[in-house]
This record gives sequence, C-alpha cells and structure tokens, in this order.
Amino acid sequence: MTGIRIALAGNPNVGKTTLFNALTGSRQHVGNWPGVTVEKKTGRVNRNGHAIEVIDLPGTYSLTAYSADEVVARDYILEEKPDVVVQVVDATNLERNLYLTTQLAELGVPIVIALNMADAAEATGCTIDRERLSALLAIPVVRTVGIRGEGLDDLLDAAIREAETSPYHEHTVGYGNDVEAMIASLVGVLAADKDLAERYPLRWLAARLLEGDENALAKVRESPVSSRVQDLLSAIDPDEYEATMADRRYDVIAAILPQVRTAGARGMNASEMVDRVVTDRYLGIPIFLALMWGTFELTFAVAAPFAALIEAGLAWLSAAVAGSIEPAWLASLVGDGLIGGVGSVLVFVPNIFILFLILSFLEDTGYLARAAFIMDRLMYAIGLPGKAFIPMLIGFGCNVPGIMAARTIEGEKDRLITILVNPFISCSARLPVYILFAGAFFGAAAGGVVFLLYVLGIAAAIGSAKLFRHTILPGESSPFIMEMPPYRLPTVWTSLLHMWSRGAMYVRKAGTIVFAGALVVWCLASFPFGVEYGSSASLAGALGHLLAPLVAPLGFDWKIAVALLFGFVAKEVVVGSLGVLYGTGEEGDALSMALLADPGLSAVTALALMVFVLLYTPCLATIATIRKETGSWRWTGFSVAYGLVLAWLLALIVGQIAPFFLGGA
Amino acid sequence: MSNMIKGVFGAVLGALYGGLGTLQIAAALTGPAVPFVPASLFWGCVLLVIGAVLLTGVRNLARGLDDGVVFFNVGILLSVSFGVISLLAAGAGALEAAIAGEAWSVADTLAPAVYLAAIGAAGFLAWCRAFFRGLATA
Amino acid sequence: MGAVCPLALLSAGTEATIADVRAGREMRLRLVGMGLCPDARVRVQCADRGSLIVSVGDARYALSRGIAMKVLVKEAA
Repeated sequence: MTGIRIALAGNPNVGKTTLFNALTGSRQHVGNWPGVTVEKKTGRVNRNGHAIEVIDLPGTYSLTAYSADEVVARDYILEEKPDVVVQVVDATNLERNLYLTTQLAELGVPIVIALNMADAAEATGCTIDRERLSALLAIPVVRTVGIRGEGLDDLLDAAIREAETSPYHEHTVGYGNDVEAMIASLVGVLAADKDLAERYPLRWLAARLLEGDENALAKVRESPVSSRVQDLLSAIDPDEYEATMADRRYDVIAAILPQVRTAGARGMNASEMVDRVVTDRYLGIPIFLALMWGTFELTFAVAAPFAALIEAGLAWLSAAVAGSIEPAWLASLVGDGLIGGVGSVLVFVPNIFILFLILSFLEDTGYLARAAFIMDRLMYAIGLPGKAFIPMLIGFGCNVPGIMAARTIEGEKDRLITILVNPFISCSARLPVYILFAGAFFGAAAGGVVFLLYVLGIAAAIGSAKLFRHTILPGESSPFIMEMPPYRLPTVWTSLLHMWSRGAMYVRKAGTIVFAGALVVWCLASFPFGVEYGSSASLAGALGHLLAPLVAPLGFDWKIAVALLFGFVAKEVVVGSLGVLYGTGEEGDALSMALLADPGLSAVTALALMVFVLLYTPCLATIATIRKETGSWRWTGFSVAYGLVLAWLLALIVGQIAPFFLGGA
Repeated sequence: MSNMIKGVFGAVLGALYGGLGTLQIAAALTGPAVPFVPASLFWGCVLLVIGAVLLTGVRNLARGLDDGVVFFNVGILLSVSFGVISLLAAGAGALEAAIAGEAWSVADTLAPAVYLAAIGAAGFLAWCRAFFRGLATA
Repeated sequence: MGAVCPLALLSAGTEATIADVRAGREMRLRLVGMGLCPDARVRVQCADRGSLIVSVGDARYALSRGIAMKVLVKEAA
C-alpha cells in the first residue's frame, strides 16, 4: 500500500496543530485558544515509500452530535474512512483526553495515540508506562514532543503499521449488562439492513441511538428497519443511557490511570498561582488594561519607522512613475490611482503586523484566555459573550480578521451580534483621517480627540450590542466556559506564523479589493476624458454633487462626499481622495493647509466628519467578510444600512452640540 | 528570611512606582514636569498598577498568605516587561528620527518605566527565574 | 460531607464532588466531555462573585456564574 490517509484527532489545546505542522511542514494557525480549527486542513508527508495524506480534524472534547466541530470530526471518520486515526493526547491531562479515546475506539477505525507534551509531563516528575497503557487500551502509544519534533518518525511508522495490518475492528468500553443487552438487541435489528451494516459500525450506531443522538437517528430514519428501531427506542430514557455510558467510560479510565501513571509533584503549580494574581478581583482588570495599553503603545511606536520607510519608498516610486511612463493617462493611472490607492493601505502594514504579533504572543502564552474570563462579567452586562472580546480586540487592527475570530463563539445570536458590532471598533484604517483632521483643526488637543473617537467607537459597539439584544436578537448570552491551558512561552516561530495568518488577510485586502477599488476610483476621477483629475467636472465630481445634499446638513460639501464615497472601498483611501480633490496630494502639510483654508470646513465639521468616518458603513473588505461569515446578504445589508444611519445621526448630533464646547468655529 | 528581603524590596519598589506614577499623572494634568519624569497620563497609570501589584504582594507576605510571593513575582515581571516596552518604543523613536532626519536625544528615553525596571530586573535575576522557569515549557 | 449546593457558592481552595448538572442536554454533554460530570472531583482555584476557575483532574476551566450555578456539588469534608 503506498497511499495512506491519517486523520489527526484530539482535544483542543493538546498541540495537535503543532504536530500537524511538524509532520507536514505546512503553515497553520496555532493558538492556545480552543475551537480555532473549524475547517479541516490537509497536508502531505512521505515516509518509507508511503505517500501519506494527513487531515487535521477539529479539536473536540468528545464526539456528540451537538457541535459542528464534533460532527465534522465524527463524520469524517465514519464516511471518509481514513486508514488510521492518530489521536493526539496531552500527557499532562490524561484523564480527560482518554475520554475521547474511548469514543474514537467505538468508531472501529485503527487508532494510534501520540502521547504529546511528554516533556511537560516529565518535567513535573510524572511517568507514564506507555507499554502498559498500550496493552490496556489495545492501542499503540507513541511518545511525542510536537514542538521539538520528537517522536514523529516513530509515530508515522506506528500509524503505517496499524493502517496496513490492523483489521477494522471495534474494541470498546463494556457498558454493563443492561446496556449491553439493549445494544445487542439493537444491533440485531440494524444488521438486517445490509446497507447500514456496511456503512457504519453497528455497535457504535446502536450506542448512539440509545443516547438519543440526533445525527444517528437521522442516519437510521430512511432505513427499512427504522420502525423496529423506533419500537425498541420508545421504551427507554436516552438521558439515563447517556449518563450510564459516560459513567462507565470514566470508570474504565479511572481503573486504567493508576496502573499506568505515577503522578508528579502536586500542589499549586506556577500557572495556577499566576492566575490568582491575574484574575484577582481588584487587580485583574487594571493589569489587563495596562497590558492592552502597552500593546497599542508599542504597536504605534515600533510601526512608525517602518511606515515612514514605506511612505518614503512610495513617494519615490510615485515620482519615478510620473517621470518615466508615457502616455500621461497611464502615468496618472499608475501613479495617482494604483500607487496612491494601494499605497495608502500598505503604509499600515507594519502597524497591523506588529499589533497582531503582540496579540498572537499574548494569545499563545494563554493570557488572553484569562483576559476573556476577566472581561466576561463586563461583556455579559453588555449582552455579549465573554469570548466576544477577542474579536473586538483584533478589530482595533483590522475588522476583517476580527470578524473572522468570531468563529470561536458558540451561540448563533451571540456570534451574529459580535460580527455586527465589530465594524464600530475603530480600525487602523481610520487613523489617517483622524490624524489629518485632528492635527489640522485641533492642534495640541489632537491626541485627546483621537482617543475620544476610539472611545466613541467602543461605546457605539456596546450600545448597538445592547440595542440588538433587546430588539432584533433577543435572548441570553451563552454561558462562559473555557479551558485555561497552562501558561507557556511561545516560540518566536509560532507567534510569527500566528501573526502572519491574520496579517495576511490585510495584505490580501490591499492586493485585491483595494486594487480593484483604486482602479474604479481613478476611472471616476479621470473621466470624462480630458478632464482635470479629480475636479468638479469629472464623474467623481458629478457623483459628489449628487450626494452633496444628503450630507449638507452635516456641514459636508461635495468634495467630502466624494472622499467618503471612495472611502467605502477602504477607509484609508479617504485621505488620498481628499489629497486629489484639493489638488495638494498627501505629502507634508499641504493638505492640512488646504483644509484649514477652506471656508466650508471648521473644527466642528472636522469633528462631525471624523465621527462619520468612524461609524459609517464597513469598508468593502469588511462587508465581504461579513457576508462570508454570516452567509446572509440580509445581515450584510443591515450592517451597511445601520452603519450609515448611525453615522449620519451621530455626526449630526455632534455637529449641533460641539459648538457649545468648542466656542464656535 | 528571603521573604523578608523580598518584602522590603517589594515595598520600596512598589512605593517608587506609586510615587513616580502619581507624579507623571500630575505632570500631565497640571503642572510642571520634573526632570526625568516625563508627563504622561497613561504611563503614570501603568506605573500605579505595577506598584499596586507589588504592594499587594508585600501586604500578603506580611500576612503570611502563600500568594504573597506570586504577587511579588508577577509584579516584578510586569516591571521588567514594561521596561522592555518602553525601551523598544524609544528605540523605534530613535530609528524614526534617523529616517526622517530629526533630532533625538538619549534623554528622551529616560522615563521611570525604564529606570525602575532596571531595579525590577535585579529583583528578577535574584529571585524570580526559578518560578517562571516552572511555567515556560515552550 | 456537606449538603448539595451550586458550585458558584464555593470559595477558593475548596474541594468538592459533582452531584448533578442541571443544564440542557447540549451543555451537559459538553461538560461531560470536559470532565465535569457526576462523581468528578473538582477543586476551586479562583473565585470571584460566582465566576470561578476550577481544576478537574489535570484540566482547568474558567466558568461564568451562570454555569457555576447549574453545577451542583457536595463539598468534601
């Protein structure tokens, strides 16, 4: 046999993804955060002439029918019938991990256990007798340390051996006489359906039916034996069976453990002690806030030199293009359109990547799990689940990965609300608009104004969440339960990979959507042919004048309307568009001067404009992401409309109230 | 006995963080800046937090609670971490100034976050390495 | 052996045995898979107004007050 398929299964947080990376060398997202690998990932590796395909199944604690993760994992093994399943087991957490083993064993597929994180277990003085464990479970057990790449060859060899020699069998926990009798009866009935008998291990199917497993019931519904099965099932209480079977599984595990493991030093370990400090009722939140502030401070500071380099590079490129490309319209397309549009997004790449690097580092150490716990009470008061706060954090960098991070949230409504309010978190893209206007109109107070805008964004997100909770998406937030993995110091490589998977979304956005959008913007600004770029006579100008009445109450003129329209593509583009419309370009203070000189603009309108940019529709990339994550045009459209309306109203209110605080224009 | 030393060290460092943190906030809100204590509302608050963690550790040590040491350890870790953050930010500032051709002086980096962290680092090297090694199984 | 009470009411450092999990099927199965089922021994590590971090076997979980109220335990002596 030369082609073999291995499925990787296991609990969350056992280092399964690291092992997968080590085996296949592919890039993956690694986190201490449960539930992150919802999609299946595949990779390849060769060993001894065998071409092996490895499939990374979602991490699950068990194999019930209740969560998508579990169903995906279960169905893959049942339907796709991989040659062998490698269960990655956390050596420091045997009891819980073995629960999954008992369930996997019932599926009938050959299994190999990778006893991972063996180094951590050994460090606590714990020893595990692998041979004994293997004998008791009738499953080969291989010692691995995924992050160091130890044991991988042995693991592959064991997997290949099992795949080639082990018959498809079901060894499983004995559930006690009563349950076993019921299982036998059910199996007898099910066996009459040859089709079912071929597709599924009957003992497994019978056990699931007794537990009232929805997914199993569905599989049997179409079968000719269905009515006889129903007869047998009608007399029993599935809850009781499920409880009994779970008990038996734990009994077996409890019997096995003492025979194979000598416990290491017990008592509070360092992770537990640190948690006492970090989740302290008085210091927990201040520590968290301090770390968050440190994160943002470091991000802006360290990104600045790189951004400066990129800007300088773009300026040089722009000048070179203007000088050397003929005809003029092409030079304008490349220079003003592409370099200008895409460039304004690229300048932020350092900012995004550093923020994500730091957040990934915090996540990989396990701290963010504690932070989610600390914030849970606050989030609950808002109507959001505690886990929603990570997507919101990520949103400060870019809303796109922020919204995608909402996948870890279980409740549908919770997830939806998290996704809908994420765009109000002020992402990095809006910053250049704030810097431009706050800098021009507010001088020394600019920093304070920008800070207030960020606060307003958070307030809008919170307010909207409460609003949605009470009106369109009512219900309670799902209760918070999350595993607290031990603290670890992540390797540089791990954090970099993690950073890349999130940051790459931003770069892709620049490369695709913004690129296309910049082309469209350029066309609108350049046609009808021969018109001055971005002037009132161009198509863009015409659009601006068309929209002007809509924004007039807010104090915006047609130029602002055009800039806002272009900002729909990516909010960074607003500044570039204004540069074009005022004819100054973005360099130096020319644009600020032009803005100040414009009689139609004042500190009040500047403030209203910044509020508008903060809140109005998500950018194109974000809209695409919302559509993808919610799978619904309806909610996407709602998001756009709600944002527009909220932005318009708040900008109006701010425009009216501000004069009192600012003392006139 | 070593607890006693840690207690004193923690008390002194904690008080320094508290005091300098308050100064930074005061300077930001109202008045004159003291040399080597730049005005910054946020850094001031961060310093206060670090001071609070250290002082809580001292208080718990005094009461004989076993989590006193942990507060102390975490406080030292925070001290060193924010010192590193401050230095990195300053370094980046220097780099940016170099690129833009602006003036920059080393004096810009001297904030309490940095020099207090130097003291914290001493504490870390003396007492905390074993504790945190127990955590890091990367 | 104490009387049965919700896990949420215990303080840090207490040990207890789970007596019952009063939650919907879905939640219950999830908790069972994680190790929180009747007869399991739990130890409360951090507690703050109902939200807890507990250890079960070798694993540690953070629970909000909502869930902790639904898990009924008997305190160990």
